[in-house]
Amino acid sequence: MHDFKLSRRHFGMLAAGVAASAALPFSVRAAGGTAIAATFPGNWEDGYRKALTPILEAEGFGLTVAPAMAQDQLAKVMASPGNPPYDTLLMSPGQMATAIENDLIQKIDPSRLKNWNMLDPAFQGEYGPTVTIEVNGIAYNPDMVPRPKGYRDLFENPAYQGKVSWTGFASNTAVMAYTEMAKIFGSGPNDMDAVFKLFKDHPEQLQGVVDSTNHQMTLFQQGEIAVFMCSTGNVARLKSLGMNAEFVQPETGSPAAPVNIHLTKGAKNLDAAYAYMDAAISKAAQDILKMPPTEMFPTNKEVALTPGIEAYVTRDQLSKMVYPDWAAINKNRAAWIRTFDALVAG
Amino acid sequence: MKASGFPYVVPMLLLSVAFFATPLAVLVGFSFSGPGGATVEHYGRFFGDAFNFRVLVSTARLGLETVVGTTLLGVPIALLYWHSGRTARQVIIFLTLIPMLTSNVVRTFAWIVILGRQGPISETLMALGLTGSPISLMFTEFGLLMAMCQIDLPLIILPLIAILSRTPVQFTEAAQVSGAGPWRILVTVLLPLMLPGLLAGWILVFASTSSSFVTQAVIGGARNVYVPQLIYREVGTLFDWPLASAIAVVLLISTGCLLVAMTMISRHRRLVGHA
Repeated sequence: MHDFKLSRRHFGMLAAGVAASAALPFSVRAAGGTAIAATFPGNWEDGYRKALTPILEAEGFGLTVAPAMAQDQLAKVMASPGNPPYDTLLMSPGQMATAIENDLIQKIDPSRLKNWNMLDPAFQGEYGPTVTIEVNGIAYNPDMVPRPKGYRDLFENPAYQGKVSWTGFASNTAVMAYTEMAKIFGSGPNDMDAVFKLFKDHPEQLQGVVDSTNHQMTLFQQGEIAVFMCSTGNVARLKSLGMNAEFVQPETGSPAAPVNIHLTKGAKNLDAAYAYMDAAISKAAQDILKMPPTEMFPTNKEVALTPGIEAYVTRDQLSKMVYPDWAAINKNRAAWIRTFDALVAG
Repeated sequence: MKASGFPYVVPMLLLSVAFFATPLAVLVGFSFSGPGGATVEHYGRFFGDAFNFRVLVSTARLGLETVVGTTLLGVPIALLYWHSGRTARQVIIFLTLIPMLTSNVVRTFAWIVILGRQGPISETLMALGLTGSPISLMFTEFGLLMAMCQIDLPLIILPLIAILSRTPVQFTEAAQVSGAGPWRILVTVLLPLMLPGLLAGWILVFASTSSSFVTQAVIGGARNVYVPQLIYREVGTLFDWPLASAIAVVLLISTGCLLVAMTMISRHRRLVGHA
């Protein structure tokens, strides 16, 4: 058996070879640059990687999908203003307002988007296009609990005791549910004291509070919880994994939030970022993303709704959804987060 | 020549200054920053809220409980290794190292299954008739402690094994011949021998537990809040970085004090004995 010997020269050549081989496919694949796009983890990340990467590659661009929750995206961009880690962000109006306030995103040039006119004016934001509308409601496991009518049911029907999970106010899905509950149990959407009192009066509900919707989906799969506040996308994902999960629109109405793509200030790959935005609102991409497991509501007018999406919401019903006042939420959010966290920790 | 080794230390020194001391200095500086100049306001805000103080105490308590748990589990395993033959030793090393080769996230999610309503703990308790209905240890401090002990166990076993593998087994035989009973051997021979390894293990386990984020967040849920989650909330959700820096400095100082205390106790003459 020969002894293994590696000289400095061989080591140097090996290192150079590895560096060259790593760089080669990158340069071939992304001749026009690579967009670093932040998306929500899970369904969004998988869906966007599968649907958008081929479209961008066909146009000579690369795409790196970086999963991060909207608040995390904001935190990371705030940490390096002028040198953002992402070229584009994906967020709802609440985070968008914070991003504008902190000068983190820029207005877009719609003439660079071929599919811009395929969007309704309501989806043509000056800071970026709306790629879908997230419709929120209640997810439940029919094997474990009866179909809930709405939020009140979860507190008053003993069938749900110990089986409902909630998250803190950092989650948009949770905030939208809590503002609805504030209307039901209090004097209006910002009367959060009524919601805190409700939890104090039902301490069993505090036992299932976790940190994120993704975590709730894991617990739902394990049968640890049977009900959580969700978007239609969360339920579509669970169904695609073979779970018995159903979506309920609360009797008081479904909160909804547009999801937009924004261009960061100081984005390094503008051409690739615009190509990515354009791909996200294209018929080709939205025809894929409207199908399970993503089932995203298409904002491109040419894309027909699937029966699965129409079961949740039709284009006509969009105007009847409940759209929270994000300015009021942003004003109170920090205080609500601290109060709720202290309440949960006892 | 005493100074001859210094050049070899320079790269490590430079790395430590660039990637540890400098960021730490920035962190400390940030914790005193305010719109009108230097301020201690953020520390006042932290200690002014009883909730924060409770979280700090819970974090230290979880770290100490994990140290106790891993010590109780780790010492017998290390002693078993010491008295085993070559093959058994390889098996013990393999079983100790294999969890470390798995991501902490994966190990944490495995604990969701173990601690859940349909997990082996619940099933066993039901089979033994100790409980009539499935129980879940998720979101409980005890469940979190079990997970932390398993995850951090290698951190105490490996230093112990390193110490014991250099120590002849005949030490215990000599003590037996001299008439010492099992407990006396443990207290006067084995523990003093293992103390350097135990100390290293305690520091590693305590530091790992008190700074862990994923396991605490996933297994502990939102009811069991610890300092890393508090820091994450201030940075990632509330964007209050000066307060987050102040909390991080408080965590650093408080865990540092506890580690110094542990070191002092373990070096106490009566504990070390004649070893």
